[in-house]
Amino acid sequence: MLSPATARKDTGRPTRSRQIQQGVRERLAPYAYIAPFFLLFFIFGLFPLLFTFYIALFDWNPIGERSYVGLKNFSDLVDDPRFWGALRNTFSIWVLSTVPQLLIALGMAHVLNHVRLRAATLFRMSMLVPYVTSVAATTIVFAQLFDRDYGMLNWLLGLLGFEHIDFTASLWGSHFMIAVMVAWRWTGYNTLLYLASLQAVPRDLYEAAAVDGANGWKQFRHITVPSLRPIIVFTVITSTIGGLQIFTEPLLANPVGGLTCGAARQCQTLTLFLYEQAFGRFHFGYGAAIGVALFVLVVIISAINYLLVTRIRSERP
Amino acid sequence: MLTFVNVLRVGVILTIAEAAAVDDHRMEGRLKRVIITATAVAAATAMILTAGCTPGSGSSGSSDPNTFEFWSFTGINQQASVDAYTSDRPDIDVKLTEVGDTSETAQALTAALAGGKVPDLVLIQGDNMPKFMQAPENFVDLTTLGADQMTGDYLDWVISQSTTEDGRVIGIPTDVGGMAIAYRTDLFAAAGLPTDRDEVSELWPTWDAFLEVGEQYVAATGKPFLDNTPTSIFFQAVNQGAERYYDENRELSYDKNPQVKAAFDLTLRMYEAGISGRIASWTPAWTAGMSKGDFAVMSAPSWMLNAIKTNAPDSAGKWDVATIPGGSGNWGGSYLAIPARAQNPAAAWDYIATMQSPEGQLAHFLEHGALPTTPSVYTDPQLLAKTDPFFSDAPIGQIYTESVVNIEPFYIGPDDATIGTELLNTLTSVEQGQVEPDEAWDTALTNVRNALRG
Repeated sequence: MLSPATARKDTGRPTRSRQIQQGVRERLAPYAYIAPFFLLFFIFGLFPLLFTFYIALFDWNPIGERSYVGLKNFSDLVDDPRFWGALRNTFSIWVLSTVPQLLIALGMAHVLNHVRLRAATLFRMSMLVPYVTSVAATTIVFAQLFDRDYGMLNWLLGLLGFEHIDFTASLWGSHFMIAVMVAWRWTGYNTLLYLASLQAVPRDLYEAAAVDGANGWKQFRHITVPSLRPIIVFTVITSTIGGLQIFTEPLLANPVGGLTCGAARQCQTLTLFLYEQAFGRFHFGYGAAIGVALFVLVVIISAINYLLVTRIRSERP
Repeated sequence: MLTFVNVLRVGVILTIAEAAAVDDHRMEGRLKRVIITATAVAAATAMILTAGCTPGSGSSGSSDPNTFEFWSFTGINQQASVDAYTSDRPDIDVKLTEVGDTSETAQALTAALAGGKVPDLVLIQGDNMPKFMQAPENFVDLTTLGADQMTGDYLDWVISQSTTEDGRVIGIPTDVGGMAIAYRTDLFAAAGLPTDRDEVSELWPTWDAFLEVGEQYVAATGKPFLDNTPTSIFFQAVNQGAERYYDENRELSYDKNPQVKAAFDLTLRMYEAGISGRIASWTPAWTAGMSKGDFAVMSAPSWMLNAIKTNAPDSAGKWDVATIPGGSGNWGGSYLAIPARAQNPAAAWDYIATMQSPEGQLAHFLEHGALPTTPSVYTDPQLLAKTDPFFSDAPIGQIYTESVVNIEPFYIGPDDATIGTELLNTLTSVEQGQVEPDEAWDTALTNVRNALRG
């Protein structure tokens, strides 16, 4: 055991230069700790991003020649109805999936948070099952449910005396089908986020409300929703970002057309259009231009989100 | 910070796309080929991202001289050829991978050529060949390995599609897609139609007669006559012309060629007559329908026979094969090629030379029914005597060779696959009720123009 006195003697009296050295080291240390992230980000994030901008200026065939074409890819994109179609599909699927998904999640969180719910853990855990199931598995099962001739949904419609609906063939049918898949996958996840946040709301609020005669709906409107406001904003933002990048569902949902999600590109999203152009037809330059367009879109939407968030924050009591 | 995260997400969008592809095809049991595609795509992306690399760099293949890697597509039973080869050459280890359908295989090959691990041997479907012909330096000139001794064995118009203007041969043809119609004898009998294949062939010398038979069938049974019109009518009729999407000067003429328009209009007439089951080819409903008898006829180029056997094994004996209305034509056919960076081109070439000789192709035909490209065997008694019990002992050798000997070959250009896909997709949209028939031609031309520009 060293006494404090001997310890000081061993290390010696710190000189001024040592003090400076140590100060520098302490100030640099945090940067060293975060360096791995930034290193990886530069290699896998920033560099590909900048390089995408670069490729977008070329007519770039991976196994043939490549030539500089300036902004031609972008002017082509603006004139290309397939691009605007993909943009429309992306937004339509996003709205159709996000709105019901968040509303249902909100309601379910409220129910799952109820004191008198039996086997609450079982119900809460089972909410996560769709989320941990492979997207491909989900998509294939849903595609079969919605099949025109042999799908279960159309079988039910047939039993009730209705005509079969060819979901994948029509614009709205295919959007609806994909929105159902997306919602099925993410509703449970969002429910759990809401539920976690609800646990922090004091029980006495609900009890007091019940004593005052507020029914379930009134409790939901006046306690649950206001206390969840920050997390609702968060889920809206994350599902927006996810919604703009929907890829797997449209890739696998339609048995006709593959990379175009249908013969008329009726459910081809922007990311799928990008993939088709870059890796289906090997127009890397054009694919990169679509990537840049998607990037601009996400920046704009993020800016809107940011404004909304700041406004909601300032409105808070 | 959120914007920052978004930036990062979009920046790696290419990576995300391929990761999704790997993760998500698992359920369909297509994992292996998806990994190949994804690895090839990842490698290509990596190559592009590290910039400056020209095609032709990078390592590939196996180094064992007795092993070679072979990429094929699904549905044509390439394993049978490989087994036949290795039973004669047990010292050779052929690593066969069925990458995906024909266009997925071509995509994976493109990605691999751009900077990934290439196979030693690859099967390329005929419509995809012109794209690869634009950059022949990616492949071994097979004349340097001995193909110059063999080119005379093949149908001129078939081998000419894989020969460059300066005489390099980058692909050896494996088969041609002679055309015919497959029909269900049980369903024909139930509809009061003849079931004998000669009588059936006489029912429809022309497509108009075919349409009338279809109407009779629908009137008698109330069920669809054929699977769908885009594949079973348009892709057949358009391949019976003297020219397709390019004219004799190798200029695009898809929008001017009256033969294309005629095939397109014929398809619309068939649709409007209400004889189509509107079940798109290669979908689960199509393969189910094949077994269940949801339609009575479907187009059957020679390679389709294998697809019917594989997809509807329990319908054995219920099918027969009749001649196609409108005369001879060809749809499909494939080529074997060796990438320039192949590790073991010698072993791959030995496979080609053995299996694609006239005798090799004849032997493959007798086993599995893909029509040879070597006309010297068309008169072989074994070929002419070949019947197939699955198709009620139809003399498939005779039927299919007759459909290709009188063929009028046309030029197939680099954009043929794209144009064909867009025209087909528009006709599929008509069947799905999304495009009005009288607007279909204009819609199709617009779609083709958009696709060719992008």
